[in-house]
Amino acid sequence: MSEDTILEFRNVTKEFPGVTALSDVSFKVKRGEIHGLCGENGAGKSTLMKILAGVYPYGTYSGTVLYNGKELKLQNSAIQAAVREGIAIVYQELTLVPAMTVAENIFLGREPVERGSIDWDRLHSETRSILEKYRLDVRPQDVVRNLGIGQMQMTEIAKALSEDAQVLILDEPTSALSEVEIDRLMEILQTLKARGVTCIYITHKMNEFFRITDQLTVLRDGKVVSSQPTAELTPEKVVGLMVGREMKERFPRGARQPGDVILEVQDLHAEWAGREVLKGVSFALRKGEILGIAGLMGSGRTELVMTLFGEFANVTSGAVKLDGKPVQIKGSQAAMRHGLGLVPEDRKRFGLVLPQSIVRNISLANLGQFGGSLAVDEDSELAASTRMAQDLAVKAPSVQVAVGSLSGGNQQKVVMAKWLLSNPQILIMDDPTRGIDVGAKYEIYKLMNALAERGIGIIMISSELEEVLGMSDRVMVMWQGRSQGTLDTREATQERIMTLATGLA
Amino acid sequence: MSNSTVTQPAQPQKTLLSGLTRRFRQDFQTYTMIVALVAIWGYFAVATEGSYVSPQNISNLFRQMSVTSLMAAGMVLVIVTGNIDLSVGRLAGYVSVIVAYLQANTWTTVFPDQPALAAISSVIVGLSVGTLWGIAQGYIIAYLRVPAFIVTLGSLFILQGLVLLQTEGKTIPANQPVFSEIGQGYLPAELSWGLVAVIAAFLVFNMLNGRRNKRRYGFPLPALTVDVLKIAAYTVLLVVYVGVVNSYSIAPGIPYPVLLLALIAVVVTYVSNNTRFGRYAYAIGGNRDAARLSGISIKRNIFLIFVLMGFLCGVAGVVLASYVGYGTIGAGGGYELDVIASAILGGTSTLGGVGTIPGAMIGGLIMASLSTGLQMLNAPPALTYVIKGSVLVFAVLLDVYLKRNDS
Repeated sequence: MSEDTILEFRNVTKEFPGVTALSDVSFKVKRGEIHGLCGENGAGKSTLMKILAGVYPYGTYSGTVLYNGKELKLQNSAIQAAVREGIAIVYQELTLVPAMTVAENIFLGREPVERGSIDWDRLHSETRSILEKYRLDVRPQDVVRNLGIGQMQMTEIAKALSEDAQVLILDEPTSALSEVEIDRLMEILQTLKARGVTCIYITHKMNEFFRITDQLTVLRDGKVVSSQPTAELTPEKVVGLMVGREMKERFPRGARQPGDVILEVQDLHAEWAGREVLKGVSFALRKGEILGIAGLMGSGRTELVMTLFGEFANVTSGAVKLDGKPVQIKGSQAAMRHGLGLVPEDRKRFGLVLPQSIVRNISLANLGQFGGSLAVDEDSELAASTRMAQDLAVKAPSVQVAVGSLSGGNQQKVVMAKWLLSNPQILIMDDPTRGIDVGAKYEIYKLMNALAERGIGIIMISSELEEVLGMSDRVMVMWQGRSQGTLDTREATQERIMTLATGLA
Repeated sequence: MSNSTVTQPAQPQKTLLSGLTRRFRQDFQTYTMIVALVAIWGYFAVATEGSYVSPQNISNLFRQMSVTSLMAAGMVLVIVTGNIDLSVGRLAGYVSVIVAYLQANTWTTVFPDQPALAAISSVIVGLSVGTLWGIAQGYIIAYLRVPAFIVTLGSLFILQGLVLLQTEGKTIPANQPVFSEIGQGYLPAELSWGLVAVIAAFLVFNMLNGRRNKRRYGFPLPALTVDVLKIAAYTVLLVVYVGVVNSYSIAPGIPYPVLLLALIAVVVTYVSNNTRFGRYAYAIGGNRDAARLSGISIKRNIFLIFVLMGFLCGVAGVVLASYVGYGTIGAGGGYELDVIASAILGGTSTLGGVGTIPGAMIGGLIMASLSTGLQMLNAPPALTYVIKGSVLVFAVLLDVYLKRNDS
């Protein structure tokens, strides 16, 4: 092994009952580089990282992992052993304690102790110096519960960095971050690289690989299909390697003719917990149109759609008109009666009952359709849910398996199936492709196009500018609870959207 | 790692055996409980030289579980939604003393010598008191948003006071004719056999009907032999049970409270699986936010579950008064512990979202089996508590351990 290789996988194979998650994986990570790891969901990225982090200890896989030239043997409290070795991981799912402060979270489990009691002053001052060193926009005494999801992610990264990591693994760190926060993360990673920290970077956002990584390893079905300098690749090539075929276009485009206005929002103001969250939002949605909503985290995008769905803030002034008639929607039941459907952000938290089956999740919002007023006819429920799951090509061993066991893309399809079964006129989709692999994203885009062609008006919130531009007919941009303007996608550019989204115009 | 689309059959590498093992692991707690039950019966049968499995004892055993198990059926749904009800025992106790008071004092003056009318009136009042209490608790919990733990804990205190007020510290007799039949009577032996025949016929009809519907939708049908064997198994269990209780020479037949319990258990099971109300309970417990955004009224659902719980406490209270034949200051005290333990032994998750009524019935039977057996062995009551508590913790420990090894 040469001097500058920090980590080497040699023929690593990991099997689960009935499934080979990793098969003969071999590649090298150089010291101090930012090493991208990409592949569709289920390609084995997370499994590989869990071996490094000690979640799957030494002996539960075959093959060798060389770390600083020695075989890595993480055993007996393997997760703590990984931390001691200097391997830190930031998971996609946040692992913070909401009721604790940023400082308490960062030092959770290794609080500085002075004569048997916690040395709070040292804890806070050390936290402050970490946060300042990496220019993280949170304060040590902030309670995590009150932070935005982006700030939580920053805290998570600070926690990993505070443990003097030699290797930092970032598993989709940007999926919840705004563009500004992503920029800052990229700066942080450059700083770390300059200090000699090695990063393994996992994301579903192609542009980030090309922006930040030095080397890129592509996994497909548990095998390494390529490991080469990023400079030798193009986004199209990488997508092709990931899915095993050339992907000509990332955003399918159907010919569609938006019709009459079905939803009109005029100067909407709304308040929640004594704070004005919407300060003047106006837009219109037409039949068969995809309207994108762009904006940074905290711009009020999610607050807007949740308020439209009657589940968040109280409307204080302004109007919401459906088919020209003013309506007041109080609660999700009323929203459904008015023909609205909502594919919420964070499907695991808001969209699915994870331990229940695909059938039960799809039928949940629509049980009134099956049988009489009281009893549920299970046969017609099963038939309708199965038909929906087939229409949307949900991949699963059976419709009776728990949705918790499905991949992100398939889970999102189940949420969509639930709402399509309720036959909505307007479908609101809040960041529908977050954390979903390229192939599944493409399928969801095609579905959205098909729905729009059927005359359904779609409102799509997206954190990815390329996606907003690629999918929508028009884009409404929000900033600080206001609608800043609506652009026709044909004349919109990423720069124009960002100008509006940052309040510059 | 690739899965087939839902149209295609399950992965080929999955053999029938591995499918069965997986199934077994999923339902592990239920199966373990059945095995535990058989073991408990076996032990006591040997220890009591057979009198534990005598017709008399079997007949009593099921009747003894009925009061707490009636409430356990409702408790499953309460816990499934992520709530708890600590007041159930005392509510049943309060209902029982009110009913006893009416039986002993009121009805005899309002309509003397009309035992049937008196009994019916008692039932109506008893069920109403329970339901009204459930309405009040449900309203405070669901609409005024006070945690169920606190509301029902407060309730427990209040009811304890009300029981004292009602009884004035005295024991009130409730052993009047007709009314006593509710808790102490038996369905005559011939009718018991008739009932078995009706149930068997219904199971066959239901199976054929279900198969016809499935065929109409084009679903794959389970093998006919499997369906027939299932029905045969249920029928054999029923025949054995009725055969045993009918051979209890002093009082042959199915005890009425057992019949009532079976009826309630079947109805609540149906409600939990096949009505929107029941489905919503599991969805709320599984993911409250997702349920809310799916247009489910969480408040209304939780309110109704506490109303149902109150109603079942009313039923249990009436049976209790009739069964023991009097209302006392101690009525229903501590029953909430047996009720909650039955639900949890039966696989109900305290985290919400998971739990079955049949499971809770087996849990209730285990609790009753332990009490009865230890009593027959003349064990001190203290030992009964220690053993029941240990069994509860051990059962959950075993479940946690095995699930961990599985994943």
